[in-house]
Amino acid sequence: MTRIAARPPLLDSVPLGRRLLFTEPRRATLTVLGVAAALLLVLLLQGIFAGAIERVTYYIRTSPADVFVSQLGVETMHMSASALPPDTVDRVRAVPGAAWASAIGYAPGAVSGPRGRQLSYVIGYDPTTSRGGPASLVAGRAPRPGEVVVDDAAADSLGLRIGGAVAVLGVPLRVSGLSSGGTSITNTTVFVGSDDLARLRGVASVSYILVRAGGITAADLAARVRAAVPGVTVQTREQFADSEARVVTDMSANLLRLMSVIGLLIALAVIALGLMTATLSRLHDYAILKALGASTARLAASVAVQVVWTVALASVVAAAVGTVLAWVLPLAATTIQVRITAASMGQLAGWAIAIGLLAALWPLRRIATLDTITAFRESR
Amino acid sequence: MNAPNDVPRHERAAPAPSAVTVRGLTKAYGRGATEVVAVRDVDLTIVSGEVVLVMGPSGSGKTTLLLMLGALLRPTSGSIVVTGRDGTRVDVAAEPEKALPALRTRSFGFIFQDYALLDALTAAENIAVAANLAGTKGAAARQRALTLLERVGLAHRAAARPTELSGGEQQRVAVARALANDPPVLLADEPTANLDASRGRDLARLLRRLADEDERCIVIVSHDDRLREVADRVLWLEDGRFKTVTDLFIDPVCQMPVAATGPAFEWAGRSLRFCSAGCRSEFINDPGRFRITTGGQPGAEITGGAGL
Ligand SMILES: Nc1ncnc2c1ncn2[C@@H]1O[C@H](COP(=O)(O)OP(=O)(O)OP(=O)(O)O)[C@@H](O)[C@H]1O
Ligand SMILES: [Mg+2]
Repeated sequence: MTRIAARPPLLDSVPLGRRLLFTEPRRATLTVLGVAAALLLVLLLQGIFAGAIERVTYYIRTSPADVFVSQLGVETMHMSASALPPDTVDRVRAVPGAAWASAIGYAPGAVSGPRGRQLSYVIGYDPTTSRGGPASLVAGRAPRPGEVVVDDAAADSLGLRIGGAVAVLGVPLRVSGLSSGGTSITNTTVFVGSDDLARLRGVASVSYILVRAGGITAADLAARVRAAVPGVTVQTREQFADSEARVVTDMSANLLRLMSVIGLLIALAVIALGLMTATLSRLHDYAILKALGASTARLAASVAVQVVWTVALASVVAAAVGTVLAWVLPLAATTIQVRITAASMGQLAGWAIAIGLLAALWPLRRIATLDTITAFRESR
Repeated sequence: MNAPNDVPRHERAAPAPSAVTVRGLTKAYGRGATEVVAVRDVDLTIVSGEVVLVMGPSGSGKTTLLLMLGALLRPTSGSIVVTGRDGTRVDVAAEPEKALPALRTRSFGFIFQDYALLDALTAAENIAVAANLAGTKGAAARQRALTLLERVGLAHRAAARPTELSGGEQQRVAVARALANDPPVLLADEPTANLDASRGRDLARLLRRLADEDERCIVIVSHDDRLREVADRVLWLEDGRFKTVTDLFIDPVCQMPVAATGPAFEWAGRSLRFCSAGCRSEFINDPGRFRITTGGQPGAEITGGAGL
């Protein structure tokens, strides 16, 4: 006899998978919400992490410098100390292609206000050029001797205001202005004049040199500086930011990965349970379809459709709620920034679909072994 | 062998081609001490356009026989040759397992006792999905569903869910679905069991019409005496074998046919027979409640060869 060739179910006139999924709207809704909750968990974790990295590297990324010079072997600001001989600045400035070069002083320390203390980067810069200073001031003005610019988020939490007193590295100063974006979950950033920083630390020193390229690329400039000034570390802004981000990534990547895996495992369990209970409650339907001639592959396709629908809807819900939370959370906790991108959402949805299909193997096994004659024997 | 059952009753101008030929069909469930032989060495020939009614007591193997005919259950031995409309012949019993789904969509339409419609789908979609499985896609499948609904008089209920339909309507949708793949053979297991008297009769007539108009053969397995009026042949299955039954009684309580092999019960000068002790005691407790139809006396002779 001539056999009927297996045709793709896509051209079917009845969207079987979708119909089977939504016959019981309550069950479908619960499954979708469960998966959405698991995805949201992962999304927020990754978003908070991405936001933290963005904050940690904010000073570097918003700097007008194209190239950063530091002590040999020092690639970061976080958890490091860099000191350069003072004459290095002139040597760097003399490199052809360098539009300007400015030294900053840098010291990790603490700032204290009426409402508490916070870890801080203290950056000493030249307020007359403003190079290496705060990217922007949201209030007040640049620091004069005895003054400091503090981050607005830190000002909020420490109870600081313009004109008020603040202790930086244990020395009382006056707040002259507020910058923004410099407070992360690890620390805040304050800015003083170079001379003040030397006074606070007791020594005059150059920690990093910021170099601006003129007419050549940042990479070319870095190469020239490296050749002209041996015995220092030279990085472009991107390299410096990446090194800085890596410090944070290295500290928390495993934790983040673990939490993401746990979140995805929860999603897996929710999908598997949701599908399994839905399948068990519709077993008679599957037996009927089998009796009517549906192959197991055909039924598997309809289960896969249910997975894709569930994950797609859950992703939309998670993305919507995540976007709202990314906007609301930083209002509640100013040091937290949540960064959710379409790319991270898409990647997560891809994982969730893969995991959903894996979860579908459980009900599929049940369907594959389902005896067609139950369509005749068992009634509803 | 049960030779008399093997011959179709009705004469035709030109002999109709046989649609189903069964030889030596046997099904044993289990093995050893727990073995149950549900169907034993059955022979049967059905021509197209014929309606065959298989009756028999509970547990006699009717459903088992039907499942084997429909390629849903593999026989222990024997052959079931089905001739398609294009003249192709296939031995259902010899087909490999993988080929069975396609074979079912090609050769058989099933009608179940509990209708077995999918609640998730509308009436039209229930039919279209069967058409999809048989290879008809898209608009063609939808059109086929509507045409078939019209045929069973339910075109106006196309968008209704099974839960919104009466039992009779659901069973008509199920009949339409069984026709979606235009099968040469329709198989129905207790199709009227959940229908009231007049709905059951309507369904019986619908099945008769389908057999006549499309030259389809229909095998109905049932306890329902009402189906006898549309059947070309009535076969009596007992202990897995076709029996030639000369006398047939109708149980006055449950209206089931009862073969004249068991003990008789005398009442008001009439000889009554019951399908079970339960029915008998129910009758004895309140004889006035029950209608004794013609079946209360020795009923129409049913033999496979001589017919009704
Ligand atoms: N899967 C099975 N395993 C073992 N025995 C079975 C199985 N299915 C049916 N049987 C037995 O086979 C015999 C015939 O069963 P079958 O269902 O074919 O009877 P039936 O004539 O359809 O009965 P009813 O009128 O009650 O529907 C019965 O004795 C039954 O117990
Ligand atoms: Mg049965």
